[in-house]
Amino acid sequence: MDPLAELKQTFFQECEELLGALEQKLQALDEGSTDSEDVNAAFRAIHSIKGGAGAFGCTELVGFAHVFEAALDHLRSGRVALEDAPFTLFLRCSDAVADLVSAARSDELAPVRPDLLAALEQVGQAKPVAAPAAPAPAAPPAAPKADAPPGIAALGNLLAMVDAKMGGPAPGASAAANDGWDDDEPVAAATPARRPGHDVRIKITPEADLFRRVIEPRVAIGILPADEVVSVACDLSHVPALETLDVTDCHMRFTVMLRTELSADEIVSKFDFTLANEEFEVEVLAEVEAVAEVAPAAAPEVPQNVAADLSAILARLGPTSDAAPQPDIQPVAAPAAASAAAAPAAAAAPAAPRAPVRPAANDVAARQRQAVSVRVDLDRIDRLMNLVGEIVITQSMLVECVRSLPYDVYAKTAEGILTLSRQTRELQDHVMAVRAQPVKAVFQRMPRLVRELAQTLGKEVKLVLEGENTEVDKTIIEELADPLTHMIRNSMDHGVETPEERIAAGKHPEGTIRLIAEHRAGRIVISVTDDGRGIGRDRLLAKAKSRGLVGADEKLAPEEIDQLIFAAGLSTADAVSDISGRGVGMDVVRRNVESLGGRISVDSEPGRGCKFTLALPLTLAVLEGMVIRCGDDRYVIPIASVIETQHLANTPIEHLTFGQEVLRWRGEITPLHRLGAVMGSAGTRDENIIIIAETERGGNVGIAVDEIVGQQQVVVKSLESNYGTVNGASAATILGDGLVALILDVDSMLRVAASSVRQPVPELKLAG
Amino acid sequence: MSLQLSEKHFTSAQPESAARRIVTFRVGDRTFGIDVGMVREIKGWQATTPLPHAAPHVRGVLNLRGVILAVYDLRTAIGLGSTEATATHVIVVVDVEDKTAGLLVDSVSDIVDVPVSAVRPAPDLERDEHGLIEGLVLLDTEIVALLDLAAVIRDGGDNQDKQLRVA
Repeated sequence: MDPLAELKQTFFQECEELLGALEQKLQALDEGSTDSEDVNAAFRAIHSIKGGAGAFGCTELVGFAHVFEAALDHLRSGRVALEDAPFTLFLRCSDAVADLVSAARSDELAPVRPDLLAALEQVGQAKPVAAPAAPAPAAPPAAPKADAPPGIAALGNLLAMVDAKMGGPAPGASAAANDGWDDDEPVAAATPARRPGHDVRIKITPEADLFRRVIEPRVAIGILPADEVVSVACDLSHVPALETLDVTDCHMRFTVMLRTELSADEIVSKFDFTLANEEFEVEVLAEVEAVAEVAPAAAPEVPQNVAADLSAILARLGPTSDAAPQPDIQPVAAPAAASAAAAPAAAAAPAAPRAPVRPAANDVAARQRQAVSVRVDLDRIDRLMNLVGEIVITQSMLVECVRSLPYDVYAKTAEGILTLSRQTRELQDHVMAVRAQPVKAVFQRMPRLVRELAQTLGKEVKLVLEGENTEVDKTIIEELADPLTHMIRNSMDHGVETPEERIAAGKHPEGTIRLIAEHRAGRIVISVTDDGRGIGRDRLLAKAKSRGLVGADEKLAPEEIDQLIFAAGLSTADAVSDISGRGVGMDVVRRNVESLGGRISVDSEPGRGCKFTLALPLTLAVLEGMVIRCGDDRYVIPIASVIETQHLANTPIEHLTFGQEVLRWRGEITPLHRLGAVMGSAGTRDENIIIIAETERGGNVGIAVDEIVGQQQVVVKSLESNYGTVNGASAATILGDGLVALILDVDSMLRVAASSVRQPVPELKLAG
Repeated sequence: MSLQLSEKHFTSAQPESAARRIVTFRVGDRTFGIDVGMVREIKGWQATTPLPHAAPHVRGVLNLRGVILAVYDLRTAIGLGSTEATATHVIVVVDVEDKTAGLLVDSVSDIVDVPVSAVRPAPDLERDEHGLIEGLVLLDTEIVALLDLAAVIRDGGDNQDKQLRVA
């Protein structure tokens, strides 16, 4: 991949995180948070998105983000009070930004949302409070080319700016450099020369990889107290010829003149987080009493070819009007951030009251901590995982080989093998941990879904997320989105009532859906609970009877009726809606979940609400299995499915018609299947053992096998990738002797059994 | 005959020099061939794990360095019964479409270069081979039937699915 494409990829990845943060902060504010840091974080997120988008020429995204940012800035500046802020609008805008990002990612035409834009532009205009000095935020969609956001674009824009300055302030050039978010910064450093302190010269010679470290000169220099900076000069003499120029390299050198009371050490410590020690040099020139003038342009050490307008560059490089150092990549947005027309001088008005800015050190330190993690291509982890799988297999082959060695050799080798086994297991656990991701990745898509559905359905719903940091293997993460979406849709559509109905039922007009993830018994359990009307049992039963799923005079327990919601082709919504109600929802969910070795159940209390519980294995890559034998063939049955095992000889078996056998287990009639017959095992069979297994519908079944060979962790190998689906088996694995064994899927096996008896057992009866 | 000639005239648009490199192998007294590019490796017979309810010519699956692939008995596929596999039998590991599969044959005989123009379309063969043969090549002493591997393999997966659905 070429470097630019790679950078773009990184940008989109970052966008996802930023969007998540944006949404989360807006949500928090919507729910009444008054933490100004939430406002700042939301602002920073959208600003960073805008920045990167500008760098990659995503015009629509920049335009929208710009207006959005301007609106959020009114909050930051306090011009719009938090309690008056239209967070619903903001949340919808964050959805729109997400759409724009994904459109930009796939190079599709971006959906323009003039309605939202117009609404955003209203923000702050309706209520002119405070800040009389600030010009009205006209918030025109920024000309993206001229917009010089932070991020990767910075270099190009910076160069353009320096160029413009060097070529004299041509009107066109300076207009082009007017970039909407910091041009209204007052020209800095008008007064610093009169301050007491000493002159300090800081030479910054960044390594070429500065930008790739995601550090910008503006950030590095911006850490210095803005009002103490006398001048910033940029030396471009190291920029190579155009042919050899790599835009991702930093070729700029800076000389910063400071009039400050800070000691050299204090200055050095400010650069700690952004620059390496060898990248800058701090030199204390002279103690200045009070009024010495230092003419910026006359700074002798500035190379001739960069007689730039220093203070103007500084205005772009870093915050100036703000007394506090700006820690983040963002420039300090001035009150009228959006006003591209504002002349610098006019904007020299004092900053409007704004949210307090965090101390720089905290923020930088936080960023340092994050920098400890690395992004790894999922493909690489997959390959690593495959390899570890191979090692596990090889190692168990080795164990079998060693067993056949003469005793004295065996004893010596065994210890080593034992250690190897332990280490292999540990290695596997660690690789699995690398693949683990918090369910947040899926959870954070849900608030938007709820918002949109609430609007469509005219319902008021609050979504509460819990346990977002519960980690599961990425194989499961990928499979979670669909079932969760369905479950939430179902709750929104069928569960939660309209506000009027809720009030009539004596409930709060706003319904609540709780989405909770937790680890339980080696599985991840996710529940979706609503406080709606619960499952309408009468209607569900009537529907099931009319469809012939339940016999007309059959009596079902209430819980059994609830389970009908998972039956194919049932929907109780009176009108078929877009959201759900075509009756394909929950049965599809059930089938998908079961195919992953998971389970879904429902508990409902009429009038009080409904709870769907989804239990899934933590990974699909390995599973704990019981190795069993039938005739000449061996199979693996997932331990998760096994309830208990018993001797066939001790079990009374009764024969029904069509060769169907049943046994009595814990007082229940349980169907019995002989595995060898169902799977067509080769060789002579001699069934001794019955494995009582649980079906996905919660029923039990007895499976007769010849022998239990052992219990071990097996690596799941796909049969589909080189063959196709195998009825009765979900996948395969490789046993210690190198031979393949099928991993049984109890439900699929039952379907095979049912079809071979030519007397399909009605699914629902099995469930009961 | 005249029709055939004219057909040949039209289809040999490629230069005469274009050649196909063919791996030939034997099942019973028949010789089959596939393009050498499809062959990933050739290995001795190795026990397979049978798959339930699969088509008769699906011998089962085996582990090839951690990858699970299905082995197809070519003898069964062409209607000559099941191979009594021994250590001398050979599994030709092939890449077909996006899958890797094994083809159980008696022995691998040769690699030959055949001019494209020498490949004749398959005549209406006896029922069992119908659709599995892509073309015929006349060598000095024998006829090599070029296999349509995709057809051999497609029959495997689908059949067992259909069987169950019908049942």
